[in-house]
Amino acid sequence: MAAPVPNRPVRDRRLSRIVNVGLPYLWLGLFFLLPLGIVLRISLAEPALAQPPYTALWEWLESGMVTIQLNFGNFMLVWADDLYLVAFLNSLRVALVCTLLCLLLGYPMAYAIATAPERWRLLLLMLIVLPFWTSFLIRVYAWIGILKANGFLNNFLLWLGVIDEPLAILHTQVAVYIGVVYSYLPFMILPLYANLTRLDRSLLEAAADLGCRPWRAFLRVTLPLSRAGIIAGSMLVFIPVVGEFVIPDLLGGPRTLMVGGMLWTEFFSNKDWPLAAALAMVLLGLLVVPFVLMQRWQQRAEARGS
Amino acid sequence: MASAIDRRSLEPWQDPQAEPYVRIERVTKKFGDIYAVDDVSLAIFQGEFFSLLGGSGCGKSTLLRLLAGLESPSAGRIHIDGVDVTDIPPYHRPVNMMFQSYALFPHMNVEQNVEFGLKQERMPRRERAERVAEMLDLLKITELRQRQPDQLSGGQRQRAALARSLAKHPKLLLLDEPLGALDKRLREHTQFELVNLQERIGTTFITVTHDQEEAMTMSTRIAVMDAGQIIQVDTPTGIYEYPNSRFVAEFIGSVNLFEGKVMRRDGDEVLVESPLGRSLQMHCPHPLALGTPVAVAVRPEKIKLCMDFRADAVNQIAGVVEDIAYLGDVSIYHVRVGPEKIVTMTLANIQPRTEQALTWGQEVAMEWSPTSGVVLTD
Repeated sequence: MAAPVPNRPVRDRRLSRIVNVGLPYLWLGLFFLLPLGIVLRISLAEPALAQPPYTALWEWLESGMVTIQLNFGNFMLVWADDLYLVAFLNSLRVALVCTLLCLLLGYPMAYAIATAPERWRLLLLMLIVLPFWTSFLIRVYAWIGILKANGFLNNFLLWLGVIDEPLAILHTQVAVYIGVVYSYLPFMILPLYANLTRLDRSLLEAAADLGCRPWRAFLRVTLPLSRAGIIAGSMLVFIPVVGEFVIPDLLGGPRTLMVGGMLWTEFFSNKDWPLAAALAMVLLGLLVVPFVLMQRWQQRAEARGS
Repeated sequence: MASAIDRRSLEPWQDPQAEPYVRIERVTKKFGDIYAVDDVSLAIFQGEFFSLLGGSGCGKSTLLRLLAGLESPSAGRIHIDGVDVTDIPPYHRPVNMMFQSYALFPHMNVEQNVEFGLKQERMPRRERAERVAEMLDLLKITELRQRQPDQLSGGQRQRAALARSLAKHPKLLLLDEPLGALDKRLREHTQFELVNLQERIGTTFITVTHDQEEAMTMSTRIAVMDAGQIIQVDTPTGIYEYPNSRFVAEFIGSVNLFEGKVMRRDGDEVLVESPLGRSLQMHCPHPLALGTPVAVAVRPEKIKLCMDFRADAVNQIAGVVEDIAYLGDVSIYHVRVGPEKIVTMTLANIQPRTEQALTWGQEVAMEWSPTSGVVLTD
């Protein structure tokens, strides 16, 4: 009777450890590594008029031999064709500019919410999150109504007399910037807000006491201490914007060539799955490598600090 | 040693000609409808170690923040070294503060924290480095200069914060509960260090504390505060021996209060009739009208055992020992002298306890001299 009792917790603990450690790995394996492997495999195939529309990676020959065909041509094409390079650079530029714009707009908003009286904070946060209750697609469509030649914005400006003829904003890069900044601003504000509410107010008082005017106190204390929030917010904006498809497709024009649109075209219009997959892999590489390096660098900087 | 004697003999507040270094004139601070500081006036002299003492919410911290410029008064003026600083923002005041939480910048190491204020006043690099080294040396934290605040112990953090607040050589150093975050042993040790430091550098210190022992040990003078007002300002001895009110008497140390009425005046002495049926004759320099309700305050250690108890004698009272607290060096006796009244008496344990006569349930007579207590009207 007494003997099995001590064993029970041990087995329970082992089970809970397997669940705790295994579940995230299982999740990552199933929904990240496996799809990534499939995309990688497709990127190494050749397009074919078949179902699925690409060649098999290996073939069993009757002689018992296995032939493996790896086609690196897609990757070569991605590098060789200027079109893809332009799309990549454009995507990076749009993402970079929009991240900076979101930061410039979002930081003061997050700061204002974080320093607002307690009873206002929840309401202000609600206002930030409220747009999420409407479908993303509908919100982007709404911008067409605002930005088009006889839309709200142009009519308003004409009525004010600021302009004589409607501005051509829709289907330009500017429209893409507006749409992206509008859509991704909450992703910048929320992590910044979470970071700034934790800021100890007495640190700012100490800075003032030691001779800092408010603006300098902000630069020397608040800003460096909110670095983690700035990085988190910037990543949450930058990464998805690089691959953004819907906004440039709806609001952008023929000159707003971005990787997201490129992928769409290759997959669905040209039915060239291997090339699209290769594009996706290159995009992933371009995004992941700098971030991993940055994180390494940051960890090393922190280790050096301690 | 010499400086310690100087400090005690130097009592500028006794000199009516002396110019106060810090002058707080009828300052009031309201938060909404609440008076945090209520019409406070105070004069503090150069080189003082001045303590604001009171319970939580008495306004002592607000008064300190008003001096730092972190709050601005609803009414009244503040002068520091002859300059009206009432409307000067904190970053332009010749005043520095050590915060209760220390408020060290977590993204800077100790050296950078100490250097911070000097950089703000654009001190040249070489001079800055010298000053930082001097401060780190003064507080004996030179080896910790590369550490981040989260790698410091509580005591080390306190030193770093002190070094930072002294680095700019402020005219006035404000300390908000400077020892509040330290454990008891470290606190006792640091009290003396802080006093020695202050004597060495000569800066005027104003500290806020809720710990009366801390205030008594460190201060040249103490202001006891309650509900936004200053109740009494005096030296530690003055506060303890001559409290001006029941509040101060009870706030500092323990005290026996005998309520009664003034029956007779005889020169500097008054005779107080107590409802306990005893007459108390006390020294009292201020004139009091006959019949004034008063309280006679006598500290427990001023009460002695009485060898010749007489029913009609003054300042004598008899009772039954109800409780004994043996503290080693002294014992505290609670003696019931009436149905509602217990007198506390402290006796030094000169003899080992077993040889002492007093025990539970024993009848004892006690007495005190007319000069060992005060007569309170407030």
